[in-house]
Amino acid sequence: MKRPVLTLYCLLVYAFLLAPILVVVGASFNAGNFLTFPPQGLSLRWYVTFFHNDVFMRAIRTSLWVAAVATVISGTIGTMAALYYVQHAGRWKEAVRIAMLAPLLLPEVLTAIALLFFVYAIGIGTTTMIGMIAGHVLITLPFVFINVSASLESFDPSWDMAARSLGAGRLARFRRIMLPLIKPGVIGGALFAFIISFDTFTISFMLKGIGTSTLPIQLFDYLRTNFTPEAAAVSTVSILLTLVGVIVSEKVLGLRIHRF
Amino acid sequence: MMPARRKGLGSMVLIAPAAVLLGVFLVLPYLNIVVMSFRMPGQGTPYGQGFTIGNYTKFFADSFYLLQVANTLWIGLLTTAICLAVGFPVAWQLARGAMRFRALAYGLVLSPLLVGIVIRSYGWTILLGNAGLINRSLTGMGLLDRPLPLMYNALGIVIALVHVFLPFMILPIMAAIQGVDPSLESAARSLGASRFTAFRRIVLPLCLPGIQAGCILVFVLSLSAYVTPSLIGGLRVKTMAVTVVDALIDTFQWPWGSALALMLSVTGALCVVIFARLTRMKWKAMEP
Repeated sequence: MKRPVLTLYCLLVYAFLLAPILVVVGASFNAGNFLTFPPQGLSLRWYVTFFHNDVFMRAIRTSLWVAAVATVISGTIGTMAALYYVQHAGRWKEAVRIAMLAPLLLPEVLTAIALLFFVYAIGIGTTTMIGMIAGHVLITLPFVFINVSASLESFDPSWDMAARSLGAGRLARFRRIMLPLIKPGVIGGALFAFIISFDTFTISFMLKGIGTSTLPIQLFDYLRTNFTPEAAAVSTVSILLTLVGVIVSEKVLGLRIHRF
Repeated sequence: MMPARRKGLGSMVLIAPAAVLLGVFLVLPYLNIVVMSFRMPGQGTPYGQGFTIGNYTKFFADSFYLLQVANTLWIGLLTTAICLAVGFPVAWQLARGAMRFRALAYGLVLSPLLVGIVIRSYGWTILLGNAGLINRSLTGMGLLDRPLPLMYNALGIVIALVHVFLPFMILPIMAAIQGVDPSLESAARSLGASRFTAFRRIVLPLCLPGIQAGCILVFVLSLSAYVTPSLIGGLRVKTMAVTVVDALIDTFQWPWGSALALMLSVTGALCVVIFARLTRMKWKAMEP
């Protein structure tokens, strides 16, 4: 270590980044009725309470379902748009990029409110999940786009040309050449999309219907009135789900997330 | 001519779904909310008949809301400045440091992004509350008689927001520093520049775009943050985003809520434009 001061400083920042997450995980094993320090012994009782709590279990199912649907839609649309952006956009390239990143650049609160009014204006309201899923697709789209277009930038068009000269059709070229090359980008983007959708709050908060609360909303509602460590158990399970998703993608699918 | 046109049409199929999605679920809702902000308030309904500029005059006439916007901007600025000060050395270390655990360190920087914002804010309430971990430890050790007021104020909101948005500052700056060739610095040093001068005159100007991107991202995100100020600020300190959302959820005043949300966003956008102008000028001045 050449610069001990810098290293120490960075370690402190890493501790700061981890602190609230570790505290939540630690609090979930508290045996007491309230979040007290030091904890009144260790116990898994709040996990048992959580697993028997229908409201939270339903919220987890809703979250997973919405995230899966949104990921499939934004994964498909975002990948297609990235293909267009890198290979066909020409002089519209910059415009396409700004449009695709727009949901990320616009304030999420404003987008959420605008969408809420819009679904009422066109008459579907929040009785269906259309508004919520559209919102989730919107905010996850930029992440798919960034990841896929980054992996496409390294794509050499001469490979495609070579396959074409050897008589490969459009579909065959896409399946045999393009897809294997952009696979890591698509998987990384989809994983990012899933996690963002699973964790997002504002969009779901504004567009939720009756009985369609996602996990973050249910947790937020719970935290406004309750102080038991059950919320910590819920949070820990949610963190674990994300972690398992990342590890599985990395081990099984050979994930490589491009930074943004 | 034919093949070219077919190719053009074929490629349009690729962008069409995204264009339709953004057109229907982003552009139309934004146009709708602008129109909504000029509607009359309704009696028993979300909005009434006819149009007015009353929602905007109400905003500018009431110092309560102007003060709240100023307060929100102040929290955003503070969060951005602290993120920059805290994040820059870490970005530097990640980009340049000869570390054995670079992958781990990079994972640590990314890790907060994998944990939902509600959970992270909840973690801060456990740490910062009057009976929270920090205050209990300090009073337990006899360092304090009364708990420090860390929650239900701007300080607590800023601490938690810095945590929530720090990765968005570190990542673009790290990318920018990685783009600066270290040999440029060595060249400056060999020509007699001190380490500080080499940093100020060579490295800093070259990674300004990354710093600018990080600052804008953090500022915009902290202005529209809802969960963190709501959980940490409680009822005592409200930022604009909290007021807007609560106004819509609790009172169903759509035109008024629209006007408030738009005013907050426009103010934020203005700040970003001014900031971008200033940094560009600075940037130009730094060029030799």
